[in-house]
Amino acid sequence: MALSSRQSRRDVLKLTAYSTAGALFAPSIARAQTKSLTMMHESSFVPPYDAFFKNKLATAYEKAKGIKVNYEVVSVGSLLTRVTTAAENSSGPDMTAIGFNWAFLFDDKFLDVTDIAAEIGKESGGWYESAQESVVVNGKWKAIPFGNIGQLMNWRTDWFKQAGYEKFPDTWDELLEAGIKLKKAGHPFGFELGHGFGDNHGWLYPLLWSYGAREVEPDGKTIVIDSDETARAVDYCRRLYKETMLEDCLGWTDVNNNKAFLSEQISCTNNAESILWAAKKDFPDMAKVIDQSENPKGPKGRFHMLNPLCHSIFTHTKDQKAAKDFLRWLMAPPQAGPWLDIAVTYYQPFLHAYDDAPMWKVEPRNLPYRDALKTSHLPGWPAPLSRAQSESVAKFVVVDMFAKACAGKSTKDVIADAAAQLKQIYRA
Amino acid sequence: MTAVLAPALTRRRPPFSFGRWVEREGVFSWLMVALPVAFLVALVGYPFFYGIWISLQDRPVAKPGEFVGLDNFIRAWHDPVFRQVAVNTIFYTAAATLLKMVGGLGLALVMNQDFRFKNLTRALLLLPFIVPTVLSTIAWQWILDPAFSVVNWVLKAADIADPGPSWLGNPHLAMFSLIIVNVWRGLPFYAITLLAGLQTIPPDLYEAATIDGAGRWGRFRYVTLPLLMPIIFIVTMFSVIFTFADFQLIYVLTRGGPANATHVFATYAFDIAMGAGQFGQGAAIALSMVPPLALIILAMAIYMRAPKS
Repeated sequence: MALSSRQSRRDVLKLTAYSTAGALFAPSIARAQTKSLTMMHESSFVPPYDAFFKNKLATAYEKAKGIKVNYEVVSVGSLLTRVTTAAENSSGPDMTAIGFNWAFLFDDKFLDVTDIAAEIGKESGGWYESAQESVVVNGKWKAIPFGNIGQLMNWRTDWFKQAGYEKFPDTWDELLEAGIKLKKAGHPFGFELGHGFGDNHGWLYPLLWSYGAREVEPDGKTIVIDSDETARAVDYCRRLYKETMLEDCLGWTDVNNNKAFLSEQISCTNNAESILWAAKKDFPDMAKVIDQSENPKGPKGRFHMLNPLCHSIFTHTKDQKAAKDFLRWLMAPPQAGPWLDIAVTYYQPFLHAYDDAPMWKVEPRNLPYRDALKTSHLPGWPAPLSRAQSESVAKFVVVDMFAKACAGKSTKDVIADAAAQLKQIYRA
Repeated sequence: MTAVLAPALTRRRPPFSFGRWVEREGVFSWLMVALPVAFLVALVGYPFFYGIWISLQDRPVAKPGEFVGLDNFIRAWHDPVFRQVAVNTIFYTAAATLLKMVGGLGLALVMNQDFRFKNLTRALLLLPFIVPTVLSTIAWQWILDPAFSVVNWVLKAADIADPGPSWLGNPHLAMFSLIIVNVWRGLPFYAITLLAGLQTIPPDLYEAATIDGAGRWGRFRYVTLPLLMPIIFIVTMFSVIFTFADFQLIYVLTRGGPANATHVFATYAFDIAMGAGQFGQGAAIALSMVPPLALIILAMAIYMRAPKS
């Protein structure tokens, strides 16, 4: 190395020292860069839930394993769009929360996590059967179920009592009877019949099933919506709408029933735990007279909607093992337990170890959400996961079948419409 | 020989100068056009042709596509919801555009008068246009909720109706409500553009018309309207395109409900592509907007180019 006149020996020494230091530190910096993971989640209705991940879980993991975990929150309703973008471009977050049948839709883009699912199940008392309905694709687990955001009956105990009901009606027919009385007393029902994301499917699919009707047979091909059972469910729904509800329900999206319930416009609706949660926070007096119950029984039983929150790992993640290790760690009781606790059963765990967890005692009125897990299914059930299932939901086939009947169309016509649509969707 | 010729050649053709080359008109004009063209190709052309390519495939989300020709378009044609969506879109566009045109022209005529706080009023007029659609639509969500609606509150207070109309729950009223909100949002665009047009009409034309015996209506009919026509057409063209492809407003208020009564091309295509993960079908539905729009624009362009008598 030729020294120019301006460079002194000291300069050379300094330079050497810096390069040595740089060479020493560089690998550790590079390692830190690959060892950061990002988890994408939809903004939770329970804000402490998101905060707990960011402040407690991520910090603990970084301390224990030296891997920084970022928590990326997207707005409600936009998660599917974001997952689609990440999957299509094979870039973005390493892990994501998913729902419904996305494990099937993004099958090629999600990592097989069967091994850690088995470990987690063994560790925490075994999985609920309904957990597998949405995440097992061709015999492989494509996501780790975290919790169900169940949809149940939310009702006002004070008004029901005035109408002569101490308990929530056990059958749909009894509910209709109660609704007629309550509407006369100035406390109508309000169930979403419009194009929302969840509160419409949340009660209309269970209603359909509880009358013994379904869209498709378990073979995923034979369309059976055109049945006497469907006709009875449709007729029932029309009566329930006309005789117990507000006219506005037909145009509702998911925010409307919460708003109507909390502003004392309605005495009963089908919703997640969010109404009671919000009432306890903002309307404590009202919260005392709210209760939650399982859906009523129909001639063929009692059903609920499966609305799972699960975690998947994108195949594009740089370090698949690191992501898997994190998910495994996350689902171990010391982590998953407190995370579930902070949301006080808003997410109902799919693991039996939590069946009698202390969080259920914090608010016993939430217990029906746990019990409903056994009778919960995805839209499209009993057919297996499919693209057609998504298309039927996106086209609101079942919701609109009921909504059209409520708006005045004949039962025969609305079922014929739905059957024609389903035949096209399932390419039957 | 060459030694003799060489200096002569260099004198006739000076050494290449980049600066001078750029300044040549043929080159310079192309250079100026190149950037916008590249911009259009990248942001409009590429997505458009990619959309056409996808619409010819069975292309589920996160899976490779399979060429199916016109199958998606044929399926859409046989889909009863698609037909309803087409009717809804055309009705929505026609009604909203017509109302905006008439209302905007009226508003522009009023704004063209001299009155106190003229400039302030003109500025306030732009408000619905400036506020982000999603925000103003959420305000409308409250106005259209029977339990909280000011309209229903007034009706109730005046003992006319209780609880009053269900603005978004009744299928017909829902379409009507959406049209009203769209008109509210789009009116300022019409009004301000037409106002600009009004101000370019020379006052002496009005004086001449008055001398010829034209009254208020005559001046409007024979001076204002003909001179404003080109602007009315341009604005209408833009408005038709925007209204036809409207998404935000409907997505926030009804998401196409009740029972598809307010579903339009944009919301339906989004639900199919993003909700159901069927990119091919979604693209086909979105592309179905192109032929009717192209026809409308073509008809307007022909009308505008036709020599006026």
